[in-house]
Amino acid sequence: MGEQVGQKPKRELPRSRVLVAEQTAKIYRDAFAAKARGEKVGWSTAIFPQEICETLDIPVLYPENNAASISAKHLGGELIEHAEGAMQYPSRICSYARLNMALADKIQDPAYSKADPLMPSPDFLLLANNSCTQLMKWYECLSRDLGIPIFFIDCLFNYYEEKPAKHKITYIRKQIEKYIWDMEAFSGKKFDWDKFLEVQKRSQINSKLFDEIIRLNMRTPAPMSGFDFFNYMSCLVLARGKESTTVIFEQLKKEVEEHIANNTTTFPSEEKYRVHWEGIACWPNLGHNLKTLKNYNVNAVINGYVTAWNVDYEPGDLDSMASAYASSSTNSLSTNTIMNMRADTIENYNCDGMLCHVNRSCKMMTFHIFVGRHIIEERTGVPCANFDGDQSDERIYSEAQFETRLQGLVEIMQHRKEANHG
Amino acid sequence: MADLPEMLAELQSVADSPKKMLAKYLAQGKKVVGCFPIYTPAELVHAAGMIPMGVWGGQVNPSVAGQYAPIFICSIMRSCLEFGMLGKYKGLSAVIMPILCDSFRGMSGAWRVGVKDIPLIALIQPQNREVDGAREFLAAEYGVVKEKLEEIAGHKISGDAIENSIAIYNSHNATLREFARAANRHLDVITPKIRHAVMKSAHFMEKAEHAAKVKDIVLKLAELPEHKWTGRKVVLTGITAEPGDLLDILAENKIAVVGDDLAQESRQFRTDIPAGQDPLDRLAGQWLSRSACSVVHEKTSARPDLVIKLAKENRADGVIICLMSFCDVEEYEYPLLAKTTAQAGLPSVCIDIDQSTENSGQARTKLQTFVEML
Ligand code: SF4
Ligand code: SF4
Repeated sequence: MGEQVGQKPKRELPRSRVLVAEQTAKIYRDAFAAKARGEKVGWSTAIFPQEICETLDIPVLYPENNAASISAKHLGGELIEHAEGAMQYPSRICSYARLNMALADKIQDPAYSKADPLMPSPDFLLLANNSCTQLMKWYECLSRDLGIPIFFIDCLFNYYEEKPAKHKITYIRKQIEKYIWDMEAFSGKKFDWDKFLEVQKRSQINSKLFDEIIRLNMRTPAPMSGFDFFNYMSCLVLARGKESTTVIFEQLKKEVEEHIANNTTTFPSEEKYRVHWEGIACWPNLGHNLKTLKNYNVNAVINGYVTAWNVDYEPGDLDSMASAYASSSTNSLSTNTIMNMRADTIENYNCDGMLCHVNRSCKMMTFHIFVGRHIIEERTGVPCANFDGDQSDERIYSEAQFETRLQGLVEIMQHRKEANHG
Repeated sequence: MADLPEMLAELQSVADSPKKMLAKYLAQGKKVVGCFPIYTPAELVHAAGMIPMGVWGGQVNPSVAGQYAPIFICSIMRSCLEFGMLGKYKGLSAVIMPILCDSFRGMSGAWRVGVKDIPLIALIQPQNREVDGAREFLAAEYGVVKEKLEEIAGHKISGDAIENSIAIYNSHNATLREFARAANRHLDVITPKIRHAVMKSAHFMEKAEHAAKVKDIVLKLAELPEHKWTGRKVVLTGITAEPGDLLDILAENKIAVVGDDLAQESRQFRTDIPAGQDPLDRLAGQWLSRSACSVVHEKTSARPDLVIKLAKENRADGVIICLMSFCDVEEYEYPLLAKTTAQAGLPSVCIDIDQSTENSGQARTKLQTFVEML
């Protein structure tokens, strides 16, 4: 979710990337401006029904996305230190939470300016626990420390493989309805149901468009370095319901199609191997990840994280929306469900292997890897390799270990290729 | 009636070796269903004529669980998985698992691949308890659990049977609360380890049977003169306070436990099942009334308030925060707990609770320093 992640651009940025940067900057600017006018500004978890605040035109920023951006700029360490030191949070909780709770504390001092991007202090919180339960605890802490309300959509967890049962959908739909009334009352704004329908449609257009773009990477060799997709995730997190995202995605689609037509790619070396990257990126270590992948001619053509934002529902149907928010995150689905989806992806994207980020912050994503690895190996036959890391805490990742694990994976992939050809 | 030391020793032995209890119930021809921490509708198992048995792991350095559970999953779930994979829970007809945290989300998958012979009955409690619909949702969720239990029991579970079990559970709660009060008048007899054993043994015995034994203990205690405790007094908060070694260290340092907010102990007994028309709805109502627990979403600082109240009411000198290793829900609450207890004039110490090691050396040093502070 970081902005302009990866290596320092040597080439001119593609137009779509410029648009992303502009959109993100505008969203932050608007939030600060609203705050300055005395209007309410919210902080939200990444896969919350954004459609409601979008409809009410209330600015919302996203701590997970913000923490990713700060981490990618290597500015997270000091905040994490503050969380573990003065604030006394154990170092074992999610590093996004540590970073963000520290930021929330720091920005109470108007003179504080070290983090980038900064966020205005929130007046309310939007919490959906579809990604994990830690979010719930994290937001409880923010709410207590800042003395602000939480609007909560409890999205449950799909412990079995079937679609969410009726009683679950009803419970979630009722929460969305209550949230709409509560937010109307809180903001003093009238909820416009026609506009809501338009926002829902726009969100669907954007999700589908992004899905189409990602699928273009099924081609061998891929038109995109898979890591490039990380640069567009902010559109789906911060602006899933905005028209400006449609413009960006249409531009991006054009660029990818041009690469296909010209037989070019954004991957910076010859693509000898294609892998599925499992888990969040190690934002502070993206440069090293990418450089090493490039050196070993491995393109991480697809990853589960960038496809996690597809909240797919029927506009106008709240039940369908409830069901979508209950099953859109990687961590809201059972390991069987997720790893079978991954196996499909590995087949569809013609991957030679799977590279799994054992993320110290994220218990559930790691569980998927440990519990579901056999599903990948049995169904697809491709080898998997794990490496240790963290999305924000730089102390966990080891450059040497990453390279060794990748090297090991490459050797197996090479043998398999030779065996298949020989 | 046996004498007090015998009664206490019996419950100590139950707490120390749940496996024996499992074997005993199986030998009686009973079906036994495992109940994961912290809150499961065990009343439904009971109403089916089966024995609900707590699954709380134990001290073990995992040798096989690491295949499915990363090292940074809470210590208790790793040992539960280890025991499951090693066949130590053989004999359980199923396990009920409430998805209360991320470790449970993952465990629901790990259990299904790692312990294939013991079926998993998962459920999830609603966390947005303020919304109209949370209660109906949970009653429906319990309804699904009930159907699965009926399949295992081989017969229907009647509403009357559930009502009957609810009465037994509520009465058991009252008995255990009574025991906690009585214990404080006899801190010479009810050492930290014994207090723990009486409470923990509840997880491995049929509740009416357990309540009867604890009632007898309370009666026997009443026959003794009240003891004037001259040592220090503390309140415990966390998931569990184990191993026994840890509690021995308290006793060695003349520290008595006068109250607890432990998931394995008082959190089990402090919230009754409310009155109502429909038994599943009543069970759901209990979840809605739970408070001051790290796995329950609340907007207030209910837990520190409760811990402080417990400490003040029982004249405790300090608080021991028993922090389960890698239990994130508890870890998020740590700073608030530490700060608010300090503001209330209660010193606290944080002890890492780790089921993967028998070594309490670090805890010993910390507790020795702590007692000097009190
Ligand atoms: S990284 Fe994992 S634990 Fe942290 S907020 Fe995201 S889903 Fe939750
Ligand atoms: S993380 Fe905490 S609440 Fe969850 S299973 Fe482990 S000890 Fe229990």
